[in-house]
Amino acid sequence: MIKILPKITTIIGLVFLSANSLFGAKNNLTLAGSTTVLPIAQKAAEAFMDLNKDINISVRGGGSGVGIASLISGSVDIANSSRPIKAKEIKTAREKGKNPVENIIALDGLAVIVHPNNPINELDIKTIKDIYTGKISNWKVLKGIDQPIVVISRDVASGTFEVFKEKVLKGEKVRDDALMLASNKAVATTVAETPGAIGYVGLGYLSEEVKSIKIEGVTPSEKTVRSGEYKLARPLYMYTNGVPRGIAKDFIDFILSPTGQKIVKETGFVPLE
Amino acid sequence: MGKKAIGFPIFLVFSLNIIGAAETKLSMELWNRYTLERKDDKTEKNAFSVERGYFRLDPTFTDNIKGRFTLDFFSSDKYSDGAGLKLKYAYVEFNNVIPIPESRLSCGIDKNYFGTVYDWEYVTIEKALEDKEKVAASADYGVFFTGFIPQGFGEYAISLINGEGYSKAGSKVNINPSPVINLRLIPLPGITIGGSLLYEKAGFIDTIKTEYDKRMLYAGVARFAFGPLDAWFEYLSQQLGVTTRGEYKETMSQGLMIMPVLRLVKPLDFVLRYDQWDPNTSKEKDAYSTLIGGFNWNILHDSQGLPTLFIQTNWQRKMYEDSEKSAVDLIMVQLRWKFGNTLQ
Repeated sequence: MIKILPKITTIIGLVFLSANSLFGAKNNLTLAGSTTVLPIAQKAAEAFMDLNKDINISVRGGGSGVGIASLISGSVDIANSSRPIKAKEIKTAREKGKNPVENIIALDGLAVIVHPNNPINELDIKTIKDIYTGKISNWKVLKGIDQPIVVISRDVASGTFEVFKEKVLKGEKVRDDALMLASNKAVATTVAETPGAIGYVGLGYLSEEVKSIKIEGVTPSEKTVRSGEYKLARPLYMYTNGVPRGIAKDFIDFILSPTGQKIVKETGFVPLE
Repeated sequence: MGKKAIGFPIFLVFSLNIIGAAETKLSMELWNRYTLERKDDKTEKNAFSVERGYFRLDPTFTDNIKGRFTLDFFSSDKYSDGAGLKLKYAYVEFNNVIPIPESRLSCGIDKNYFGTVYDWEYVTIEKALEDKEKVAASADYGVFFTGFIPQGFGEYAISLINGEGYSKAGSKVNINPSPVINLRLIPLPGITIGGSLLYEKAGFIDTIKTEYDKRMLYAGVARFAFGPLDAWFEYLSQQLGVTTRGEYKETMSQGLMIMPVLRLVKPLDFVLRYDQWDPNTSKEKDAYSTLIGGFNWNILHDSQGLPTLFIQTNWQRKMYEDSEKSAVDLIMVQLRWKFGNTLQ
């Protein structure tokens, strides 16, 4: 064995040299992950590409878990996430030579929404939990109309679901017949079209087609999210491998700039300042 | 392999949803392999096979209680119908039951948290060194406490296992469970160092004829991942205490593995591996080494960038310290493919 070790060392050395030669600069930036962060990322990318004609930015959804896994596998430059990275994800990333760095780009509130004809205006977190776990299954129990509650949730790959699970469900599972949908948009559309439905979306997905209800007496808004008064508030993240550099740094700096934070506000989310 | 065995997983899929798993991930992974083995200019093997057929169910009962059930269907000449069946994993895990953040307690047949065998991703078609040399199985029956060190600085595991591996049960298992300790540290991104220890004491019951009274197994692991290069190193040592005709003696086995993997272009990896194993360091001419070279081509990925259709080609040469023994050459081509869905 000892005889062959110098040969092996030489091979490894050659492989390292070849590896270095494969690094190179590029003009493309790829983002994937949270569908909550998606509208901010898309609009910011369009504005950034207008200012930098030689740069191409590609943005896709998939959910926060997918974005972070893609950052670890090296298939994206930025992972969009609506939840903080998990311990297992950080460990896997570091093992593979990646160093996920958190960049908070906006704030959001999880807005609980119902069909516009629903007379319910306010719920507390425990009642929402009872609805989602199946303990309450008809609106009449909550002094609403006699109508079964149709529970709409996000799928398990979603950071929005993770945050809802942590802040509302507190470890309990969603009732078996809940509709688990793949995007904020799908939740908003389904609630708008289904009398008796309840769902939750990022602030950016609120519209006149759904009714946002008060949580513990507080309306989700820029003011209540920033002050922390609204209980279902959360930061939105863009994770990079290491401290952002090159185009990734320029893009994140752009989102954090007054122009980028204006885009955050225009898309319905809460700017950092 | 009985026909009832095929019906069992189908029964499980339905029953898991009936008994209230919030969701169940259902997946299947198959390894189709071609093997050509040559020794002394003669062909010893030239065959196609299904080396693994993993059928997996991963039920989630609550946020903190999950399970895993994995059956392995594989080609085998031990059975008249040419296929075998093994229970690979069957455990339930409880997260954060002990007030240590990011900890997990599991019981059943879980991974054997030793050396490189528990996170071996088969970058080469060949198994991890400890699995290949049959000193530690990839899974075992027992109780497992595992967790992550905060901020991604590593992971740890403490387990109590049978020690004989997942393929042995009942009268083939001695009366003394084996403790296993594993620690991996990641001081800097891309640099992993760690070690494992397994202690096994033979239980004196008539049905077990062990070759040793006690066994101590150590592994030292290092991994360096920078850019497109990912290199693994493992040192493995086994100490056996044997009583022969009333005289107690200790023998030692030693080995190492070096495995650099280079990403050539996005879907194509080049892998090299060198293994050395000396079954008894006090004996002459019993050591052997293996050199492996090959390519891994990730044809299709899932949404997370993980391969779902994957071709591996390996050339492998086993060389003996004893110059009278001829080297054995293997050429293997393997197609790994997997698919799955989540039942909610």
